[in-house]
Formats: sequence, structure tokens, C-alpha cells
Amino acid sequence: MFAKRIQPMVFQARRFYVELMFQVMGRALQAVSEIDSAVQAEARALPEGFLFEMMVMPDGSKLIVEHIGNGRLHYHGDKAPRPIDLSIQFKHVAHAFLVLSFQEKTAVAFANDRMLVNGEISYAVRMTRVLTRLETFILPKLVAQRAVKEYPASLHLPEKLISAARIYLKVATNFVETARAS
Amino acid sequence: MSNQYYEFFCPVKVIAGKAALEHIPYELTGMAAKRPMIVTDKGVRAAGLLDLVIAACEESGLEIVSIFDDVPPDSSTGVVKEIAGIYRSQKCDSLIAVGGGSSIDTAKAVNILVSEGGDDIAKYSGAGVIKHPLKPFLVVPTTAGTGSEVTSVAVITDTKKSVKLPFSSSFLLPNAAVIDPRMTLTLPPHITAATAMDAMTHATEAFTCMAKNPLSDAYATSAIKKISKSLLNVMDNPKDSDGRLELAQASTMAGIAFSNSMVGLVHALGHATGAICHLPHGMCMSLYLPYVLEYNLETIREPLGELLLYLDGPEVYAATPSNRRAEASISALRKLRDELYKRCKLPRTLKETGSVTEDQLDTIAELALDDGSIMFNPKEVLLEDARAVLKCAWA
Repeated sequence: MFAKRIQPMVFQARRFYVELMFQVMGRALQAVSEIDSAVQAEARALPEGFLFEMMVMPDGSKLIVEHIGNGRLHYHGDKAPRPIDLSIQFKHVAHAFLVLSFQEKTAVAFANDRMLVNGEISYAVRMTRVLTRLETFILPKLVAQRAVKEYPASLHLPEKLISAARIYLKVATNFVETARAS
Repeated sequence: MSNQYYEFFCPVKVIAGKAALEHIPYELTGMAAKRPMIVTDKGVRAAGLLDLVIAACEESGLEIVSIFDDVPPDSSTGVVKEIAGIYRSQKCDSLIAVGGGSSIDTAKAVNILVSEGGDDIAKYSGAGVIKHPLKPFLVVPTTAGTGSEVTSVAVITDTKKSVKLPFSSSFLLPNAAVIDPRMTLTLPPHITAATAMDAMTHATEAFTCMAKNPLSDAYATSAIKKISKSLLNVMDNPKDSDGRLELAQASTMAGIAFSNSMVGLVHALGHATGAICHLPHGMCMSLYLPYVLEYNLETIREPLGELLLYLDGPEVYAATPSNRRAEASISALRKLRDELYKRCKLPRTLKETGSVTEDQLDTIAELALDDGSIMFNPKEVLLEDARAVLKCAWA
């Protein structure tokens, strides 16, 4: 009975968490593309003006980033200036929650058909590598090991800490700038 | 509670065995189809395989209204448009694909155009674009390897833009796959070997990659057992129709397995090598399989060890310590490749192909990293990893 009464609140909290994580990830994608050469190398293969979206079907939370050239990504929030080039769509908010709360690895979610790819597959593979790189930087190692297929042995603590600090600082700055602008 | 989750889907009716072709008229009339069109290639016609299909239909009073026998090995949007035009002008109402992967993919694409309308197949490219069932469609495979008769994808080259257009929808699946041993009886030895190793790779990757599931596992193991038992017999006795049927069934089963659990690095490298060096797909699969299994070994030790039972039989499996079974599975595959090399010179290394140069390896590695299959490989693959596998496969 109690469980039934709190269920709407649980659903609401889950939706809020997914939306918040998309906002953090969108800003973090922009930040990591400004500081990490490996991410820049991956993103450089995308056409300039390329719009990437991650969303929850049918019309739930979303994040949209654009490749603005030279490997740099720009976070657009949840509004796309043009038609999207590549969309990775979670079939349900519960599936997005599993991935964004690191209970299910992104690669496993793909394997489990939790997500659909609409667009060029090779770009989806590339963006997945960018997301993986981001997660290894910003998550504590124990959590990152749950989120990515294989935690990179070459990523040592000093590099991870410095990169994470720079990404989080940029994310926080972006949040403040967005709040001021609105 | 287990975290396991999977999806499995295969609505294709499989009609397999002796006189299977003779079921085509019944199947088509059961779907109210009376004016079928055959899509095939010149090789199939020259081998006399088309005559068997036509005779099976005509004997039952079903007239084949139109035959398009000029599907190229790498089908294009122009060919699809041309066939759709013939289909419409001849007022056909159903399709029969007779051939290998290219004819089957072409017929799938034609079915989209003649069912959904229009002349531009490119606008239906992608996943989930098609929302309605298509026209009645049967597939008669003439190779035993691709498994295209049970997959929901097709790839067509857009010659104007020089890109490969992927199409993915469960509506692309044929209504029935007709597997008749007569259709593979005349396959030359090197194609028999390469296509069987393609099926072997489908099954092995389906069983060891990330999206494996209990249902696809059952199909994969059964396919591996059939190929291991029959392939060398068929190589030695090409007219062994029972063995041919076993290989054809194995190919379909492996197709069902991999279309439900995907494939991994072998396919990523194979697609890249095919695109750059124009090597046949089956040859690439055979070539890369053991090297990729060695790369993935520590991640897939348990499932790979299980495969020894199907690759080498119960005696060898029982006699091999459990911690050595994975390596023994790789050895069994290597042994099979050596036997095939003896019989038809199916290359075991990139150097043996004579079509790849060492300076192409970096380009192959880079292209493989962007292949969709790599997502399902159980072990993360970085550029240097792909290069290392290619180096092992070189010589």
C-alpha cells in the first residue's frame, strides 16, 4: 500500500534525475572537448555543425550537442537549432535511469536493445567512445568501472583528478552562466 | 534478481530439406500471391539453379511473371529502382529472391519500394523507418553462409553519393526461407569453405559477444556442431546432399543467432578489410576468427570453453581440463582452417590472401573502429588493439 502511494514520487524523482544527468552530461561533453586531445581527435571526424542528441522516447528529457569544428562540442540544452544528425534514444525513462545511474554499462544497454540509434552508425560508435572517455574522467574509478566496458589501464590518478576538476569547474561555470542568462 | 535482459525475434518460416522448393507455390498462394517476380544473379541462372525454382512453381500452376537476373555482387540504388519499375510494370504481387547476400538484400530493398511507394530507396534508409508489413517475400539461399534469409537488415550502395545505405526493420524479414540442398550442391569448394566459415563466425561471435542470450545460444551451438561435423565431409564429397543441407541449415541457424545477439570484432575487421581490399566477406571471417578470439580470450574464457563440445565433440571436451577448453576451441578452429587451406587454399593470414599490403593495416584498423559491430565486442578495442590483432593476422 505504502509502496503504491509513493510510486508517483519515485517516478517523478527518476525523471528529475535523468533530466539533471542529461544537463550535467551535455555540459561535461562540451567541457571535455575543450580539454582532452583524445576527445577532440574523435570529434574532429564529425562534420562541422553535426548535431548529436541523446533522448528518452517518446518525448522525454534530452541533451543536444553540436560539433562546432576542430573537435569542440557545444551544448545546446534540449533545443536543437536544426534537424538532428544523430540521435541515441532510450526506449523508456527506466532504461535511461539504469544507464545514467551506472547500474548498466552503455555498451550493455546497446546490447540489451535499451536504445535505438537514428543516424550514421559510425558516428554513434564515435560518440559512444567520447561518452566513455568522459565517464572515465568524471566518475570515481569504482563507479566508472560499472559504467564503461573496460576502465583504461593507462589513465592514472593525477591525470584523472586534474581532468575531472577542470571538467567539473567548466560544468559549474556553465550552470551559473545559464542561470544568470535566464 | 538477475540483471539479464534480452530480446529474441524470428518470425521467418523455415522450409528446409528434400523437395523444399516445391513448397513455394503453396506458400505464395497461402498469402494470396499469384504473380511472383524472381530476383537473382547471372551466376545462379548459369548454374541452372533458377530452372529448379521455375519448374517447382510451374508444375503447380504458378506462373513466374518476371525474372530479373542481373543483380551485381554489390547492389546499388539504381538496380533497386530498375527492378521496382519492372515489378510495377508487370503487375507482380510478390518477390522471390534466389541467390546469395546481394540478391537477397536487393530483393529486400525492392520490397520496400514496391510496398511503400516511390523510386528513392534512400529515403527509407535507417532503423525503424518502415512501419507497415511489405509484399509477400520468399528467399531461396544459394550459398550457406550469410544468413540473410533470416536477418532484418539490408545494405545497398548509393552510387551517386558513394555511401552504403543500411536498412533495418523487422518488416524486411521474408515470410519464408526455403532451404533446399539442391541449391548449394554446385557451390565451388572455395566458396563452400568461405561461406561455411562465415556461418561459423556468426555463430561463434553470437555465442561470445555482449548480446548473447539463451535462445540465440541454442541456435549458435547447434550451427557450430553442424558445421564442424559436415564441412570437411562436404569439401571431400561436394555432392553429399545431406552434408549440404546440414551446412545450409547451420547457416540459417547462425543467421538467427547473430541477428538476435549481434557480432563483434571479427566482423568489424572483416567489414573494414572488405571495404579497403575488396576481399570476400567469408574469407575475412575465416581469416580473423582465431586472432580475435585470442584477443578476447580472458573476457570470453567460459563461453569459448563451452564451444569445444560443439567444435570437437564430447570425447575431446571431456578429456580437456576445463581451464584449457577455451584455448582448445581456438586450436580446433585453427585446425579446421588448416584443413580448408589444404583443400582449397582458403587463406589463413592476410599475407596469404595476396590482396592486402602491410601498409594497409593501419587504415583497416582505423575503419574497423567505426564499425557498429565493435560495440558488441566483449572487450574494449582501441586503435592499438585493432592494430595488434591485424599484425597477428598478417603472417
